[in-house]
Amino acid sequence: MKTSIRRSLLLLFLFSFLCAGGAVATAAGPTEVLRPTLQGMIDVIRDPGLAGTENKEERRRKIMEIASRGFDFTEMSKRVLGRTWQKISQEEREQFVRLFTKLLENAYVGKLEEYSGQEIIYKDERIKGKKAAVLTFVKHNGAAPLPVSYVMLKNGKGWQVYDLNIEGVSFLRNYRDQFKSILRKKKYAGLVKVLEEKNASFTGDGAAQ
Amino acid sequence: MLNKYNNCEFIAMDPVKRYFSCFILLVVLLTASGCAEKSSTAAIGESSSTMEQSDDELDMLLDDDFLDDELLDEIDYYDPLEPINRVFFEFNDKLYYWVLSPLNTVYSAVLPQDVRFSVGHFINNFAAPIRLINTLLQLKFNDAGAVMARFAINSTLGVYGFGDVAWREFGIAPREEDFGQTLGYWGVGEGIYLCLPVIGPSNLRDAVGFVTDAYSHPMVFFVDDFLVSAGYYSLDRVNLLSLNPDIYEDLKKYSLDPYVSMRQVYLDYRRKKIDDNDE
Repeated sequence: MKTSIRRSLLLLFLFSFLCAGGAVATAAGPTEVLRPTLQGMIDVIRDPGLAGTENKEERRRKIMEIASRGFDFTEMSKRVLGRTWQKISQEEREQFVRLFTKLLENAYVGKLEEYSGQEIIYKDERIKGKKAAVLTFVKHNGAAPLPVSYVMLKNGKGWQVYDLNIEGVSFLRNYRDQFKSILRKKKYAGLVKVLEEKNASFTGDGAAQ
Repeated sequence: MLNKYNNCEFIAMDPVKRYFSCFILLVVLLTASGCAEKSSTAAIGESSSTMEQSDDELDMLLDDDFLDDELLDEIDYYDPLEPINRVFFEFNDKLYYWVLSPLNTVYSAVLPQDVRFSVGHFINNFAAPIRLINTLLQLKFNDAGAVMARFAINSTLGVYGFGDVAWREFGIAPREEDFGQTLGYWGVGEGIYLCLPVIGPSNLRDAVGFVTDAYSHPMVFFVDDFLVSAGYYSLDRVNLLSLNPDIYEDLKKYSLDPYVSMRQVYLDYRRKKIDDNDE
């Protein structure tokens, strides 16, 4: 039991950022959108011309560019904030989307860079109205394949990922609970401060990678 | 490589034999019932039980409207002891950085990774009776068959459980069942959330399950000594950590409130495990 919690925890963090991505073809189904996105990000990471600390900025920029096409950061921000989203101004919303996207980049891209050797198997897809779920299995180091489900929403740009779920643990719900707890104590201004501090904490060791 | 493990003499020899022969007999008797059919389906490719569950899982994700409605401030966990839990969370955090992590550094330096994997397999295999009891208590006879087949294969071909031949060669995936899940299966609610010192995240139901499982562990059958059990548990913890060294530090690194993050991961993970039972 503990093993799996740890495993799913680890993988939650490993692959959360993988939902970044998705070349947008209007008529393409969820899996057709997801596949090139994930592959595109992995390709950038594996590109020897972009490897190393000196190329970090360029590499991250390319990854996030692919990510922003298949990954709906605004939808994520909206859902992760819940009711607070309705209470804040348009400017604050834009600021929040920026901060949250930066957090995801900081938190997960570095991790992805360490685990670029994995293989993704697209197992199943389910569409229900404007929502879709794509089940993938991630194989790494010969371990038992890990199920990672991408939850997607059809918007003006086609299918975009807004959540992913590993063994019942939703990445969005995880952040939502954390934000809720911070909002209760420190209000929105406090949350922004915590986010800014967190992002700043990555600049040091992030550069070391 | 295995020589390092021959000093498992902390377990007295006779009870071991008695225990293993009893258990293997039980396995052989019960295997005929359901496991043959199960293992043959499981053996088709690597698509083991985990993959078979995909259908219901995807539907569950789409039916989960928790983020669609405006009920986002609704609390879906019960944590009245949060202030105390947070103290224990801090305690465990210190325990991690001051004791576990340094211990792991030494442990990992001494033992190569494949040996640590073997230790993990052994510990896991040794606890098979707990999983068998709990699959049976939940009337999951196919899973019980798989647990027994795994135990039989890994204890023999896997050399006392040090190798996971059942998964590698036969494609029988591990089943994880504990008494907390059994209670959940029969409708017992999770109760309050607990962050226990040393043990970590839990809830009232799973804490009861943890203690019950500890008493049904074969270890207790051999050596009824708290220190030995505690040592065994510590080995399990350090070994697990050595195989997944980054997990806790990543959780801290990526979380704005690691306590809340851990609580959410634990509770949702356990809920999913128990939901699987409805299939």
